[in-house]
Amino acid sequence: MAEAFKVWQCRTCGHMYEEEFGDPAEGIAPGTRWADVPGDWICPSCGTPKADFDMIELD
Amino acid sequence: MIPQEIAETIVDPKAYAQETPVDEAFTFLRREMPLAQAEPEGVEKFWAVTKQIDIREVERNNDLFHNGDKSATLTTIEADNKVREMMGGSPHLVRSLVQMDNPDHMDYRRLTQSWFLPQNIRKLEPRIREIAKGFIDRMADMGGTCDFARDVAFLYPLHVIMEILGVPEADEPLMLKLTQELFGANDSDVNRSGEETQETDDFLASIQQTIGDFITYFNDLTEKRRASPTDDLSSVIANGSIRGEPLDHFAAMSYYIIAATAGHDTTSNTTAGGLWGLCENQDQFAKLKANPGLIPNLLEESIRWSTPVKHFMRSATRDTSLAGADIAKGDWMMLCYPSGNRDEDVWDDPFKFRVDRETNKHVAFGYGAHVCIGQHLARMEMRILWEELLPRLESIELNGTPKRMESSFVCGPKTVPVRYKMQ
Repeated sequence: MAEAFKVWQCRTCGHMYEEEFGDPAEGIAPGTRWADVPGDWICPSCGTPKADFDMIELD
Repeated sequence: MIPQEIAETIVDPKAYAQETPVDEAFTFLRREMPLAQAEPEGVEKFWAVTKQIDIREVERNNDLFHNGDKSATLTTIEADNKVREMMGGSPHLVRSLVQMDNPDHMDYRRLTQSWFLPQNIRKLEPRIREIAKGFIDRMADMGGTCDFARDVAFLYPLHVIMEILGVPEADEPLMLKLTQELFGANDSDVNRSGEETQETDDFLASIQQTIGDFITYFNDLTEKRRASPTDDLSSVIANGSIRGEPLDHFAAMSYYIIAATAGHDTTSNTTAGGLWGLCENQDQFAKLKANPGLIPNLLEESIRWSTPVKHFMRSATRDTSLAGADIAKGDWMMLCYPSGNRDEDVWDDPFKFRVDRETNKHVAFGYGAHVCIGQHLARMEMRILWEELLPRLESIELNGTPKRMESSFVCGPKTVPVRYKMQ
């Protein structure tokens, strides 16, 4: 069984990267796992680097 | 140097109310001199940053370009000197997140950051939907005509943020009045004096009186929340600490003021501006009616279209270069958000209101460390309102000429008369 999609959140602005939906505007397809998001990807809302995102649990 | 007529236009509150002169001025600047210096009469020389890529670059480098070293909003040399005299050398009448730099900015932002995160505010969704439905029911009861700005758009986000702050409903008219006095200080319809033009001393005295009224109000609320904390945002501010110490009183009062003003006025402006856009673009209204899945696009297009915050200022902390220009330490920079949100390099048809844009990377909430802390709440409020309103709205059109507030800082529609049919 495939691992459940996870959600990562920007520490600066709270923007959420949801693996299920990806970031198509930046060429990151739905379903792209966080580990496969390029290292130079930045938060689309505030420009914070990928390294400053935390995984979060949603209810 | 930017031609004088253009320089005067981009700081003129009346030009922002008319919008076209500002759009034309910024279009000229983006094409001919996207990063150049302006020196309007009586105003310190500043760089007008008009391209979105440069606005983002300045905002992203928040240690290189400070908010707090000079006035964070446009002001005249005379007013700046007087404020510094009054405030012991500080160029600011309030000290909120907007006027802070690190380390204070980060520490003060963290105080309420978790409160405004999507996973927290979504708990409020049922209550916000109930509030939205109430306003839409009232609109339906108004017999097919209303002023959407005054009857719905001003009041709905006001009610939401005041519930969040724990301000009683009876005090909402006071909060709206004080907000409009602060942001509409140049507009005789809403400012404290009711005067079209004012001497600098009178202008500053009016703003100080408004700030004083806010402080008196929130002093009282602070005492109540310290004595009996609740789960509202005021309790977080009243009982918060920074580096182990209670919040500095002036910063705490400023925190309330920014929440009680920016926390609704910008959302109101965007909501009213979005409906205005739909009225003038019936093909877009028809698209939305046919496909409610476009509501998220409507949100972002309304935010881009309205861009309620017209500018913030930054100043360079050291010599640097930006877009090929030499910026000297201390240079003042005007981040021209309406220009960034009409940038031809970012959008096709930037002067068209379209709900079918696949991406909408606007800078209306700012960018970088100072990006709007309330952006997730603002989006949720607007999404809920449109989700509730659009299914019931059979038709809507303008029923008169809308007007915008006169301000070069925060402004939007002050009246949007409409005629409609609702279920």
